Amino acid sequence: MRIAVKALGAALVLVAVGACGSSGGGGASASSTLVVGEFNPFSGPDASFGLEMAGGCVPAIRLINAGGGVLGHQLSCVQEDTRGDPADAVPAAQKMMATETSLVGVLGPSSDEALATAPLLNQGHVPMFVDTGQAAFNHTGDAYFWRVTPADDVKGYALALWAHKAGYTRAAAVFGNDAGAQSDVPTLVKAFTRLGGTIAYNKPFALGQSSYRTEIENILATHPQVIFTEVDPQTGATFLSELQQLHGLLPVIGTEVTLQAPWLKAVGGAIGPAAMARYFQGMQPYAPPSGPAWQAYNKSLLGSAAQVPKPSQWSSDPYSMTYYDGVNVMALAMIAAKSTSPAVFNPYITKVTEPGPGKKVVDTFAAGQAALRAGHQIQYVGAGGPIVFNHWHNSTGAFEAAKYANGTITLVGSVSAAQIAAISR
Amino acid sequence: MNTLLPAIGFGLVTASILAVAGVGFTLQFGVTNILNLAYGDIMTAAAFVAYLVTSAGVSVWLALVAGAAFGGVFSVVLNRALYTPFVRHGTRLFGMIIVTISVSLIVQNGLQAIFGASFFSLNMPRPAPIHVAGMVFTTVQFAIIGIAVAAMLLVHLLLRYTKLGKAMRATASDPELARNCGIATDRVIDLAWALSGTLCGLAGVILVMNVTAFTDTTGSQFLIPVVAVAVLGGIGQPYGAMLGALIIGIASEVAAAVISPDYKNVVAFVILVIVLLARPQGILSEIATRKEVAA
Repeated sequence: MRIAVKALGAALVLVAVGACGSSGGGGASASSTLVVGEFNPFSGPDASFGLEMAGGCVPAIRLINAGGGVLGHQLSCVQEDTRGDPADAVPAAQKMMATETSLVGVLGPSSDEALATAPLLNQGHVPMFVDTGQAAFNHTGDAYFWRVTPADDVKGYALALWAHKAGYTRAAAVFGNDAGAQSDVPTLVKAFTRLGGTIAYNKPFALGQSSYRTEIENILATHPQVIFTEVDPQTGATFLSELQQLHGLLPVIGTEVTLQAPWLKAVGGAIGPAAMARYFQGMQPYAPPSGPAWQAYNKSLLGSAAQVPKPSQWSSDPYSMTYYDGVNVMALAMIAAKSTSPAVFNPYITKVTEPGPGKKVVDTFAAGQAALRAGHQIQYVGAGGPIVFNHWHNSTGAFEAAKYANGTITLVGSVSAAQIAAISR
Repeated sequence: MNTLLPAIGFGLVTASILAVAGVGFTLQFGVTNILNLAYGDIMTAAAFVAYLVTSAGVSVWLALVAGAAFGGVFSVVLNRALYTPFVRHGTRLFGMIIVTISVSLIVQNGLQAIFGASFFSLNMPRPAPIHVAGMVFTTVQFAIIGIAVAAMLLVHLLLRYTKLGKAMRATASDPELARNCGIATDRVIDLAWALSGTLCGLAGVILVMNVTAFTDTTGSQFLIPVVAVAVLGGIGQPYGAMLGALIIGIASEVAAAVISPDYKNVVAFVILVIVLLARPQGILSEIATRKEVAA
C-alpha cells in the first residue's frame, strides 16, 4: 500500500513538474520539426471538429514544407484530443505543453474546452488560433489568444438581419441548452426585436433526447413563420424530422453549425434532400470559395487525401479555411520575427495581418515568405478573407447565407460587417 | 392544460423505448449481478447492424430482428469471453463496473473506427401521421409502442409462466440456493444475457428509428435515463423498470410542456431522488435489497 502511495506521489510530482515546465515559449532546436497542435475533440460527440481542423492544418503544412519550411524547420500537425470535455482537455493541454518541446502554437481550443484551457495555454505562452465563439473572450486580455472567427453573439445579429431581409416577423428560437448555443440568443432577440420582429418561442432545448414532440406542439401554438436554430446534429435531426412527420416543416435559419458536414448529413438523412433544399438556410462567416488564396488552399486540401479523409468536404468550410490561415499566419510571423520562439513571434501576428500603407498584400505562405525575404512588410489575406484583429485579438467579418442542395452548399446572400456593426450598437 | 394531455401521450413513446431498454438492463443485473455500463454502446452497435441491413435494401422490420439478434448474441459472447473470466478471478461489483466501462469505450471507439465520426439514418419509408384524441403520432411511433407492449408482455409471460422464467427469478434471488435446488445456473445466466441482450438490441434499433439520426455515442447518451429507470423501479426488478419507464417518460414530456424543455431531464431526476428518499431500494425493492447486501 505504502509503495502504491509513493508511486502515485511520484507520478503526481512528475505531472506537476511537467506542467510547471510546460512553457511553450522555448522555441525549437536547430532543424527540428515544429509542431502545430490540433487542440480539439477527435473523439466523443464533437469528434467531427477535429476532422474539420485537420482539413485546414494539413493543407497549410503541406504548402509550407513544400516551400522549404520556416527558418530551416519543417512543420507538422499533431492531434491533441480534448474529447470535447474540460476534464480531459486540461490534462491534454498540460501533457502537450510538457512533451511537445517544439510546439509553436495550436489551433483551438473549441467552445467545449476553451474556458478551461485557454488560460493554461496563455500561461504557457502558446499562441492559439481558437475556434471557440464564446462571448467571454470578446474582451480577453490573453496575449496569446487569437480569434479569426466571429464570436457566438455576433451570429445572433446575422440571423436576425437575414430573417428580416427575407420578410419574416415572427419566429421561434430553438437553441440547445449548451453555453455555445445559448450565447447566440440574447443578440438574436435584441436584433430581431429592434428590426420589428417577435421571437414568439424561446426556450432552451435539452440535447440528445429521444423525442421533441411536446416542444413541437408548444412551438406551433405560437404560430412562427421561421425557426432559428443551433442544436447538435442528432437533436436537429430528431426535432426537424418529427416536425416534418407530424405537421410539416417551416423555414429554418441556422447558425454555421448547421452548415457543417455532420449536421447536413444527420438532418439531410432525416428529412430528405428535397426538404433540406426547400426549407433550410444557414448563416456562416463569409468566406467565398474563390480567389487565389482559396485556390491554393483547395488545391493543397484535395492533395491531402492520405491524411484528411474525404478532403473535398472541407473545400468550402469557413472554419477549415481559417485553420489554414492560422497556420500560415504563425509561420509568416516566425519569419518576420526571425524566431520560432512563440514569445518572440507572437506580437508579429498582427504585423503580418493588419493592413497598412506600403504593405505588400500576399495570399499564400510562399508569397508572404518571398516578400518578407525581400524586405517588405506584408498583409496576409487568406482563404477566409482579410484578418483585422481588434485590441482583444478578435477579427470579425461579414456573414453569408447558404442553402444545401444537390449535395453542395450554395451561397444565397450575405449580411455585411457594416450591417452587423449598425444593429449591434 | 391543452398541452398537458398531448405531453402525456407523447411520454408514452419515450416510455416505450425506456421500458424495453430498462427491462433488459435491470434483468441483466438482477440475474447476473453485473452492472453492465457498456449496455448503451451495445444498443448503438445493434443500431449499426440495423443500419447495414437497411442499407442493403432489406426492410427495417427485418433490420429490427437482426439488431435484436445481434444484441443477444453479442451479450452472451461478451459475458462468456470477458465478464465471466473476471468474475471467476474474484473481481467484485466495483471492479466489474470498471471492466464494463472499458468495454463501453472499446465498443464506442471501435464503432467510430469502423463507421467514422459521422451521423447515420436507417433507410426506411417516411412515416405517416396518425391523429388520435387530439394528438398526432406517426406510424413508427405507434409501432414502437406496440413493440414495447409486446416485449413487456413476453417478458412477463416468460418470467411468470415458464420454467426458465422461474429459474431466472430463483437465480436472481439467491444463486447458491438455486444451484443447490438443481437449477443449472450457468445456463440460466447465459439465457439471461441472451434475453437482456436481445432487449438491448431491440431498444437500440427502436431508439434510432425514433431519433432518425445516430452516431457512435447515441446509445451511451441514452444510458443515464435507462439506469435511472432501473434504479427508480428497484434495480433487478423488471416490473419496476416498466413502471419507472412510464414515470420518467411521462414526467420528462410533461416538464417540457409545463416548465421548459431544458428541464426535461432535471424533473425526471428530481422525481427519482424524491422516490429514492422515500424508498431507497426503488419502487419494487425485493431484489435490490439483496443485491446491495451482496455488493
